[in-house]
Amino acid sequence: MTVYESDLPGVGKKHEIELGDGARLVIVTHNTGKREVFRRESADSDSEKLFELDDELARQVGTLLEGAYFQPVQSTDIETLLGDNTLLEWVEVGADSDVAGKTLGASDLRQATGASVIAIERGDEVITSPGGDAMIEAGDTLVVIGPRAACRDFVALVTGA
Amino acid sequence: MAAELLEFGYLFVVLAVTGAIALRLGLSVIPLYVVGGVVVGPYVAGRFGLPYVADSEVVTLLAELGIVLLLFFLGLEFSLDRLRAARSNIGRAGAIDLLVNLPLGVVIGLALGWSVVEAFLLGGIVYISSSAIVTKTLIDLGWIADPESEPILGTLVFEDLAIAVYLAAVTSLVLGGEGGLVAIGRSLAIAFGFLGLLLVLVQYGTSLFTRVLDVENQEAFVLRALAVVVPVAGAALALGVSEAVAAFFVGMGFSTSGHRETIERRLTSVRDVFAAIFFFWIGLGTDPTLLAAVVVPLVIAVVLTAPAKVVSGYLGGRVYDLSTHRSLRVGVGLVPRGEFSLVIAALAASGSTQVMREVIPAFAVGYVLVMSALGTVLMQRSDLVERLVFRGGSAKTES
Repeated sequence: MTVYESDLPGVGKKHEIELGDGARLVIVTHNTGKREVFRRESADSDSEKLFELDDELARQVGTLLEGAYFQPVQSTDIETLLGDNTLLEWVEVGADSDVAGKTLGASDLRQATGASVIAIERGDEVITSPGGDAMIEAGDTLVVIGPRAACRDFVALVTGA
Repeated sequence: MAAELLEFGYLFVVLAVTGAIALRLGLSVIPLYVVGGVVVGPYVAGRFGLPYVADSEVVTLLAELGIVLLLFFLGLEFSLDRLRAARSNIGRAGAIDLLVNLPLGVVIGLALGWSVVEAFLLGGIVYISSSAIVTKTLIDLGWIADPESEPILGTLVFEDLAIAVYLAAVTSLVLGGEGGLVAIGRSLAIAFGFLGLLLVLVQYGTSLFTRVLDVENQEAFVLRALAVVVPVAGAALALGVSEAVAAFFVGMGFSTSGHRETIERRLTSVRDVFAAIFFFWIGLGTDPTLLAAVVVPLVIAVVLTAPAKVVSGYLGGRVYDLSTHRSLRVGVGLVPRGEFSLVIAALAASGSTQVMREVIPAFAVGYVLVMSALGTVLMQRSDLVERLVFRGGSAKTES
């Protein structure tokens, strides 16, 4: 995929994305924050405006498009990519999970998978940097960081999948 | 005091109403503010014995602030790096634009029997396209997403720089023009000396500009920005140097300070208020009966300079390797003239000859009214223009 960027002095910036069939998606980002999105069917045709969004809405829509809330293809868990291969992942502990009711130390999750638990979300409460004696309960959400493969193993271990 | 305050209230009511009309009609506000000024000014409302807004010193001063802030914002958006990055295309398209339109205006002025300086003023007025009107129309019509927007906006950037140099030179010619060659030489030397110093400060004083505006408080921020640009502009004018160009350079200084976007966000409304007063003030000083007297030069100028812009813009579009059809749009897109032609007219009004004081300002008002409307309409109906131009010329339709 090729993205073309050009300056629009006094207006903002323009990005054009090739859609593969000769058409291009054109995004004009105004200095005011407004985004206008156009589609240009071919090099000779005029751009048709599809929609415009203000700055805040554009960011929200952008996050959705990025798949931060829902990734139907890869996994149903929330994950965020840090760098090339490191994931930040939220893993829910089911009632039938093997680790429910164990302490973090006893569950031996880090030794087994290579991914570390950096926080435990329990209802409204968040335990940050939990120690080895922190208890994992059913219904907790573990915030995990680690390489992609380690995170996958971690999810498999906790959810029993 | 009460009378003056009421008069200002009147002024703002007229601006608000004309602004609303412009929005409703989808037109640029600039020509409508001017018309509003003409209608409630001394020459129309005053003549019919209606309440009118006098062309007072206070309005003149606020209008002057409008010029300063318009050019300050222009400098803010202007970036030497951007010009350098796109040097070849912008430079070539911009040079064609300059070499076609400025000399044409000068020739028209000379043909009308005007002096060289007067003709040079006319050249500037017909040369400079309106960044405000063109950019707004590009966005309204969606051309902003198409390739023609790049040569159009690029040419406007070139014009911004050209107009800074032009104003610097012409201000000296107009203000110092009476004492013969030596006086002109001296005032030119002062102008370029002062502006040169300012430019050096702007180039090397980035950290200074950054530090001045390093403050969280909104009010302090706005006041500090004004406390830099207004005194510098004032000092320039006191030396007989163009205050507009001084403001442009200060804007350039701030553009690299890292505060550019904050300035734009916080000062845009300040600029808009004073710029509106400037356009209104231009209207106040315009006697419609003088417009009748400049009909002949006006018609000549419109008939010659509108097609000239289309041609130079077309060639500029070809420099960017655009198709003939898109290049023609570049030309059409540069036809509207507006704020800077009026800035030049305001400068001419402070000149010494009758042509400068009366004819050129009236001409500029009429010219901007015609060209802003004509340019916008041509852009809206560019399909008709294309059909008209490309109908017969089979050779030209091949891209």
